Amino acid sequence: MAAHGGRIVPSDSRRAGWWKRGLTPERIAPVVAGVILLAVWELYVRTQLPDFVATPIGIVLAIPATVASPSFWSDAAVSLGSIVQGVAIGTVAGILIGVAMGRMRELDWFLSTYIRALYALPLIALVPIVILWVGYQPAARLIIVAISAFLPVAVTTADGTRAIPREYLDVGQMFGAKAHHVWFGIALPTALPHIVTGIELGFARGITNAIAVEVLASVQGMGMSVFEKSGQLNENASLVYVLALAIFAVGIRTLMIRSRQRLAPWYNT
Amino acid sequence: MRTAERTDTFWRRVRRFRSARAAWIRVACYASSIALLLGVWQALGHSFGVLFVPFTTTMSQLWEMLHGGPLVPALGVSGKLYGVTLVIDIVVGVSLGLVLARLKLIAAALEPYIFVLYATPTISLVPFVSVMFGFEFWSRVLVAVVISIFPILLGTMEGARSIPRQHLDVAAIFGSSERQLWRDVILPYVTPYAMTGIKQSIALAMVGTLVAEFFLNPDGVAAVLLQGTTIIDSAWVLAVTVFVAALAVALVGVGELIERHLVRWRRTAVG
Repeated sequence: MAAHGGRIVPSDSRRAGWWKRGLTPERIAPVVAGVILLAVWELYVRTQLPDFVATPIGIVLAIPATVASPSFWSDAAVSLGSIVQGVAIGTVAGILIGVAMGRMRELDWFLSTYIRALYALPLIALVPIVILWVGYQPAARLIIVAISAFLPVAVTTADGTRAIPREYLDVGQMFGAKAHHVWFGIALPTALPHIVTGIELGFARGITNAIAVEVLASVQGMGMSVFEKSGQLNENASLVYVLALAIFAVGIRTLMIRSRQRLAPWYNT
Repeated sequence: MRTAERTDTFWRRVRRFRSARAAWIRVACYASSIALLLGVWQALGHSFGVLFVPFTTTMSQLWEMLHGGPLVPALGVSGKLYGVTLVIDIVVGVSLGLVLARLKLIAAALEPYIFVLYATPTISLVPFVSVMFGFEFWSRVLVAVVISIFPILLGTMEGARSIPRQHLDVAAIFGSSERQLWRDVILPYVTPYAMTGIKQSIALAMVGTLVAEFFLNPDGVAAVLLQGTTIIDSAWVLAVTVFVAALAVALVGVGELIERHLVRWRRTAVG
């Protein structure tokens, strides 16, 4: 009974075994799984599906030609540039509104209906109305990305600044802190790890929604190219773009996790 | 000196008023914010014309669309996709989460790929999915599930991994069978964790449904939205957007209610 109990708890129940240092089954397993997954994919497509469908080998072979083309870099520049710009705008607005909401109950009550409604709404549903208002333009992408980042940053900042430990405020008061000291000297640093979580969410949603706008509004960019290349039956090139987007997304995520550890080492997960 | 005193008492009075009348102020804030939005919307709508119609026009358009309009059959199509997606999310997410928490080696093997798939914008995989599996119902379900399953999967895994050693030891000492161990220890412990994931997946399944409908040959509510953009009818698009927003708020609210109920149950069971 304890044996299968031991398997469900991953901690120190693991016995030191026959394997050598560094080459544990846990390290080998992902490699084996990866090889199996890629092999199954390659063989399934080769035996069951037409030639143009992407395979792992095909994607690797398509990387040089795709990356060498200037359109790849111009797509990357406009898409990623607009994502970073939109997230920056949304983050600054989100922090300002979020701190104000966290520190002023009345403002929180006044705005929370809309912020929570928009936060619950899949923002992709806003794409058609934004396209209708600003037209089939790159500006639509910027607006949607900025909103995508604004909402999670505002919500996490408000949550983080609302829940300041009582003692911090007492100490602040004792040293004669003014309102702006409390807002930006105590509340904002306390909420920092929450804010980073909000930015992380903002990037994740921003990337997805940027692609959605590009495809729905025919705005040039990486997301547009993924769909275009696929439509031209150039599946391998399409997946090279997907790979680039995935690398960007994973990179941003890792950066956010790192910076949260750096900025707030006391804060876990 | 006197002015300082006077301002001091003024702010003190404000503070006293804010805490004494908190409940009233709260209601007033909610009411005034909604009134302000509707007022601004109505006023802007009258001055902007075609691109931004007033609130009343939007509502009458919505009324029309819900009574014999295109929205009713579209809601049926989207609702079916949403329901199937959520059921698969819960069944596959919870069971896969439990299995992966128990089989450490398989979890270690798959974890990097789950992380990468989770971080990859799923929407960019839509063309690939359509080439591999077509544009039909199950291919839509696949897209929606990949977008929405991860919170349940990761939540369940985390819950199953954090079961305290003592719980399992006590069960072992009392000679509980495999079935009893699952029914009385593991599942009750994991439920709140899974529920936190389910709450998030309820919202994400809506995103997944819309993405699948927008990008795998438009269908359902997404097709109705796009139709409004093509004919440049802002009343049409606004009505559907407001309706989708209300639906999203309601679904998220239901998820929060269920979660709160389960968390309360857990607290009483432990305490």
